[in-house]
Amino acid sequence: MAADSPTSVRKVVVHLRATGDAPILKQSKFKIAGTDKFAKVIEFLRRQLHRETLFVYVNSAFSPNPDELVVDLYNNFGFDGKLVVNYACSMAWG
Amino acid sequence: MDLKEAVKDKIPWDGTLPLNEFSLSASTFSDKWKMFNHSFPPWLWNPCPKHHLNSSHKVEGYLSLENVCLVKSCEEEKNHGSLSWKAESNISQAEEPFDHATLVCPEFEANHYDFHIVYSPSYRVPVLYFRSYYSDGQPLPLSEIEKDLPGHSAELLLESKWTFITQEEHPYLNRPWYKLHPCGTRDWMKLLLSDTYTSSNKNFIEQYLVSWFSVVGQVVGLKISLEMLNIEEKKLFETTASDIFE
Repeated sequence: MAADSPTSVRKVVVHLRATGDAPILKQSKFKIAGTDKFAKVIEFLRRQLHRETLFVYVNSAFSPNPDELVVDLYNNFGFDGKLVVNYACSMAWG
Repeated sequence: MDLKEAVKDKIPWDGTLPLNEFSLSASTFSDKWKMFNHSFPPWLWNPCPKHHLNSSHKVEGYLSLENVCLVKSCEEEKNHGSLSWKAESNISQAEEPFDHATLVCPEFEANHYDFHIVYSPSYRVPVLYFRSYYSDGQPLPLSEIEKDLPGHSAELLLESKWTFITQEEHPYLNRPWYKLHPCGTRDWMKLLLSDTYTSSNKNFIEQYLVSWFSVVGQVVGLKISLEMLNIEEKKLFETTASDIFE
């Protein structure tokens, strides 16, 4: 993962993956500026799914803080040229 | 691996952390925090008070992070999931006295927070307890604490019932504290860690609290540093998974 490219011009490919019974997006891959905060990804998901209640996480077993920069997440947890972001919807408590 | 272990691994994991693994997970968490989150004071391990050791639940202790001050100013940009904190000892130099009589927002306010990570034997997961107080020691009511929470992400987590705030007596300290209710914890821990779970996997146990805190920390504005997340190992795992599935 190139740390030497200027982050201001670099876009990151994000792949949104539904888990459980969360609805699958028609378009699940998009590009976002590396300098944007992860909050933007969360915001995008909420708007696309018309849902307030989403659990968003990265396969490396954590939920990114919305203030993290997308480029930092990509550099550390991206692979095959993209950052995979999983999402699930609220579960009903048994 | 003996037969019992082999069978155990066929049963889907329920998202919980065994009681006897809590102290290991806690010490890994606090070590990583000390190493990578040095803008904060370290978490401390507190052995359980002796009179609790007679119960059938042999929880050995809990983690505490105390007397951190939430730094707020009028001009501060609204953050999404993290807040600015200072250890109490740093405050006195920076703080300027403000005049209560004026109508202008004081430049600097400080609410003090204590955080505890306590194991719940009934839910078999860790629970975040917290309380807040003004500089004069008066406790903050929940309505004031909610103003401190980092807005958006806190709302999402709380409204979704992945977790929510309740007040109850601290399990060991006989005083009312707030806590993030653990009833949903095993469900979202399953989402986070099922792929890496095996009952004998020490890495999983060590990772549990770090993964857990990445979620609950967002509600109270405590951000973990990415280095706490075993980056090299995870990258290895991801490469393998993508080869198989894509």
